[in-house]
Amino acid sequence: MSLVNFTTREITCKIVYYGPGRSGKTTNLQYVYSQVPSDRKGQMVSLATQTDRTLFFDFLPLDLGTISGFTTKFQLYTVPGQVYYNATRKLVLQGADGVVFVADSQMRQLDENLESLQNLHANILEHGVDIRTLPLVLQFNKQDLPPELILTPPELDEALNFRGLPTFAADALHGPGVFETLKGIAADVLRKLSEGGGGVRRL
Amino acid sequence: MSATSVVEGWTEGPLVRYVGQASARLVAVMTPAGQVLAQHGFARAMDLMAAAALGAAIMASSGALAQQLGEQSFGALFHAGQHHGIHLAQCSTPRGPLIVLTVFGRETSIGLVELFYEEFAAALRKAAPVSQVREPVLAKDFEADLNRSLTSLFRR
Repeated sequence: MSLVNFTTREITCKIVYYGPGRSGKTTNLQYVYSQVPSDRKGQMVSLATQTDRTLFFDFLPLDLGTISGFTTKFQLYTVPGQVYYNATRKLVLQGADGVVFVADSQMRQLDENLESLQNLHANILEHGVDIRTLPLVLQFNKQDLPPELILTPPELDEALNFRGLPTFAADALHGPGVFETLKGIAADVLRKLSEGGGGVRRL
Repeated sequence: MSATSVVEGWTEGPLVRYVGQASARLVAVMTPAGQVLAQHGFARAMDLMAAAALGAAIMASSGALAQQLGEQSFGALFHAGQHHGIHLAQCSTPRGPLIVLTVFGRETSIGLVELFYEEFAAALRKAAPVSQVREPVLAKDFEADLNRSLTSLFRR
């Protein structure tokens, strides 16, 4: 749940990048880290295996600046995508104010995307959160790959977006779509705060 | 950042007392999701957030391990380095569970930190309010500010 300090007028929100293994969650954070001036970001913390697969999470604190008179900070997390890391995925998801689901656009990864999306729903439910009230956006990553290997955004929308969520085509390695995705989830999370109730509804 | 700063005012008195009694160098009081409610001694907000994220992760993973072993939870965790030690513990309060990360040096000892931590946890329990429903925070037209902030953040 977002933390609001009325004395110092500060807001802190937690955003989790979720998705199957190798879909580009860490790459999203690395791109954000590479683009943001040093006075607006903290160190990127990565708890990864020796082969650079995310083991627990990546973490990047960002200072978004002043919004409606509040200094607004976002904490970006990724989860490990591999199926067998579900326990740690569940832990990182705890207390999330918003989720970016990073889907791999490759045709052969469609089943993994669906499995990960179902896993997200199950884990959110286990935290006692009503997923309909949790800000969630979909990113269709790797749209830079050859067209014969990937599904188009409308095809991915048809296959994955049952709830009509905001979607963003992206190439996280080179940047297109990364900023738009972050902007999309930030707007959804902050909109919740502007509506009152402070965030997600618990079941 | 000043030496001690708090997001929720009820944490300030117990925290200031604890820091003085235990001679702690750094303290972060956070939720299990890693959101900081109060801190002492951190120089940069961003360093504090990273420490809180890691502290919450350690507590979460050790709690999950405890469950697998049929334990309700482990008590406090303690790690000793050459120059610094850390003490990590969770306490339940009417506001919900909280995690306290304490970093201390050679001017004190783990025994003193543990002793005063127990008093600190009791003081937090006593002072904590029950969670309340939140009123709207941001103005409805926050999106113009958000666009401006993100544009400057990404230098576009």
